[in-house]
Amino acid sequence: MKYETVIGLEVHIELATESKIFCSCSAKFGGEQNDHVCPACCGMPGMLPVVNKHVVDLGMAAGMMLNCHINRTTTFDKKSYYYPDLPCSYQTTQWFSPICVNGTLQIETSKGKKDIRIKQIHMEEDAGKLVHDDWTNTSLVDFNRTSVPLIEIVSQPDLSSAEEVVAYLERLRSLLRFAKVSECRMEQGSMRCDVNLSIRPEGSDKLGVRTEMKNMNSISAITRAIEYEVSRHIDALENGTEELVQETRRWDDIKGKSFAMRNKETAGDYRYFPDPNVMPIVIDDEWFDSVKNALPEFPEIKKAKYIELGLSEYDAGMLSESISLCECFEAAYEVCKSAKEVANWLISDCMNIVNKKQWTVDMLNLDGKSLGMLISLVMEGKVGRTNGKKILEAMFDDSSINPGEYAEQNGFIVSNDTSLIESVIKEVMAQDEKSVTDYKNGKEKALMALFGKCMRQLKGNCDPQLLQKLLIDCINKA
Amino acid sequence: MEKETLIKLEKLNQLRLDDTQKISVIDFFAKRDSEMEIINSIDTKNTERMVHVMPILTVVRDDVEKKLFTRDQLQKGAPETMDGYWQVPRLVE
Amino acid sequence: MKLFTAETEVKTQKKVVLDDMILTKDLPTCAGSKMLDGYMSLFDAQVVTKLSEAQIGICGKANVGEFAIDLLGETSYYGACTNDGKLVSASAEIVKTGKADAAIVLDVNGAPRRAAAQSDLVYIKPTYGTVSRYGTIPAACSGETVGVISTTANQCKEILGIIAGHDDKDGTSHADTVCQKIKTSSEKITKIALISAFNVDSDTAAKIDNFKTVIEKSGVSCHTVEGEKLLCARVAWNILMSAELCNNVSRYDGIKYGHRASEYTTIGELYTNSRTEAFGDLLKTAILYGSDTLSTENYMKVYDKALRIRRVVAEYFDELFKEYDAVLLPGCSKSFYTEKDIETNKYISFEENACTAPASITGLPAVVAGGVQIVGKAFSDAGLLDLAEIYEKGGK
Repeated sequence: MKYETVIGLEVHIELATESKIFCSCSAKFGGEQNDHVCPACCGMPGMLPVVNKHVVDLGMAAGMMLNCHINRTTTFDKKSYYYPDLPCSYQTTQWFSPICVNGTLQIETSKGKKDIRIKQIHMEEDAGKLVHDDWTNTSLVDFNRTSVPLIEIVSQPDLSSAEEVVAYLERLRSLLRFAKVSECRMEQGSMRCDVNLSIRPEGSDKLGVRTEMKNMNSISAITRAIEYEVSRHIDALENGTEELVQETRRWDDIKGKSFAMRNKETAGDYRYFPDPNVMPIVIDDEWFDSVKNALPEFPEIKKAKYIELGLSEYDAGMLSESISLCECFEAAYEVCKSAKEVANWLISDCMNIVNKKQWTVDMLNLDGKSLGMLISLVMEGKVGRTNGKKILEAMFDDSSINPGEYAEQNGFIVSNDTSLIESVIKEVMAQDEKSVTDYKNGKEKALMALFGKCMRQLKGNCDPQLLQKLLIDCINKA
Repeated sequence: MEKETLIKLEKLNQLRLDDTQKISVIDFFAKRDSEMEIINSIDTKNTERMVHVMPILTVVRDDVEKKLFTRDQLQKGAPETMDGYWQVPRLVE
Repeated sequence: MKLFTAETEVKTQKKVVLDDMILTKDLPTCAGSKMLDGYMSLFDAQVVTKLSEAQIGICGKANVGEFAIDLLGETSYYGACTNDGKLVSASAEIVKTGKADAAIVLDVNGAPRRAAAQSDLVYIKPTYGTVSRYGTIPAACSGETVGVISTTANQCKEILGIIAGHDDKDGTSHADTVCQKIKTSSEKITKIALISAFNVDSDTAAKIDNFKTVIEKSGVSCHTVEGEKLLCARVAWNILMSAELCNNVSRYDGIKYGHRASEYTTIGELYTNSRTEAFGDLLKTAILYGSDTLSTENYMKVYDKALRIRRVVAEYFDELFKEYDAVLLPGCSKSFYTEKDIETNKYISFEENACTAPASITGLPAVVAGGVQIVGKAFSDAGLLDLAEIYEKGGK
């Protein structure tokens, strides 16, 4: 018999905010254990939740990127269960009225384009982290992640293969990074995925027994886990190797197997109810529009625009992968009006520096306008390219640098003073008579040596073509 | 109330009752149950639920980070800690 | 926090006592529970900060029933307070004996209203959201309010004036302009609905009659209204309060602070032993009941129903307020209880709260004076205290 796979995804994304969702503790990744913690995050009585506005901004932005309907009145609810990483023994989440519903995400695979329906997006707080200590045979609790804002994006069961799941996750990551909702770094846990999977005979409209794999945090592991589960399910159906039950499973990527999870929240009643301490969030038109107007165009629209500006498919593709590059490119282009030059500077020079600093592209903090000014200076011949790169490096370290002023202060302005250049040429010729003779005897290379020496003496501040012309003139006259 | 319900509730709320308490709790539930009639006699089909008693405008705060207390202050009254962590019996993975 | 001592006595004009649901940095806050025995908060409640800024001295903490859900303090881990065989509220007793000018309390289930009615003190439970709950131990957040017990209406007004106001740290706090409304009386109370649906003992009935006679002298008219709908407030409030309480006290698990059992091997035993040892019977019962009302099976039938009944009660008050300026309810149904009464019926607090539940469940302001309770429109707090003052002056 032929089977088809039915997959729905629940993707948790940590939002890129400075502070937590209900208190002002840092929401940054890392930090020493229990350093980003206040009485509220360790479950002490008395503090009251006050919603971080930016969390709602980003929740809305995610929904808008995924074509969702935004609920203009959205509420928070409490979900109860006991676990040491949950300090209040309840999680504040959205159960009755999530911020976004009914969206779509278009994916592209080898089989073409497909729309995956989004059921809802809700905002909630993350739980803490447990570390297991073998020496003392205890578990250790760290509340740094407690109350870090999350959105959970719930898809309809519209996915039917590992390939589609990967395409979905990659597209989701690209869009949410673009809208600055999250860095979506699976390795840091800022993007995690629960996979709900079942199998049914092809063409059947009845869903099979569903298993859920929780907290998957690498794309390759997800692919392997799906392939394993599909064959486990088919095996169970065809050969009766086991009886399938609805359950939560844990994927062990080293063993290449999934295991049923026994403890934690698998059993029990979450007893959701509306949080009396959080008033309904009412999103008025002004708020809604401010988020909508700040959204970027989709990456492919940017790419098409860049190609129209004369960039190669490759360059346009590179730039449109990162919103930081796009923003920098557009601001710089606005100033210097040469798309090709900006692309060159960004893709080669800037990326070199980013790589040297071991940053990710999204950490690029260059002011696009300043970059445009720098490129203009070089294009107009006012600053040499080598000196231009030095200025660029300085701009990475200090974003307030004005390239023109910096060039002047550091003697990077090209001089077109013919008499000055000629005096330097004469000096160099006097010092290196051999090269002069060599050149006269037809050794072209000797000219390059003299040219280099002159350029060094001039600290690079000279139009190369002018220097070459004057140098040849001087040699010919001598 | 069924006995199993009570056992389930004890488990769910991390409490353990002795037999006298159990009888007393069952009695309490029975009383509350019989009172449901008072509110069930009122038709609320067309009545909206009321979670918040006052129409208070949403209070949201700006996304600004602020550190209030140190870890040592927060763990001062902790029953057991180790290396800045709260410590509990090992959880089975 | 400004502690009231012999040295500060000269500078501070007034001293108040806080009930043990209000967190203080310099004194333990225990909520009448073994769970929080000796618990030291890292911060002061917003009301404590405001009192200190106004140079009011804090002279100590008063015992409360466990998480303030009972009516007489009988469930406190530290024991009940009695006077002459009668159960009394510690806060009210301290004010009554002149050891403090006022008591600041958390009104969860009407205990302070009962206490003021029993002790002939004046009390205000202000409009929900006008006094910050930041730094109060959460029990039933949707209805609980910080309140003031004192000997005179004027003194209540003065203290309320200090503690009321917007607080950014409380998401259910009204805008400041709205909070300020409770400090000035906009309209005089002239017409009162006297609810007759509640069963009361003869003492309480006499207090109501007396109050009526006195204020009628000042030209206020009282009209008897059956008000049967207000009886469902108690049933609904018991559900909402228990459910919220169950959720709010689930944070006490023996891990971060508070009582941890000495014997356990697994995490489950740590939880269960700690909570079983540290919580009293009434609290345990309320937790289990609250949990049950929220179960998948009961949510719609019980919890959701209670939320709708809350609106029924609120709308009924609205209807009354179309015709009357305020509603007079008994402050309690039986003027006092003894420890023996509690032994016979441990769950009196879920029955005796009938008269206080209507204002608890709706968040409306309520003033107790002369042993009766007057519930007013939202933000009519000052007007209610004016009426209490008229009563104090014998209707003049």
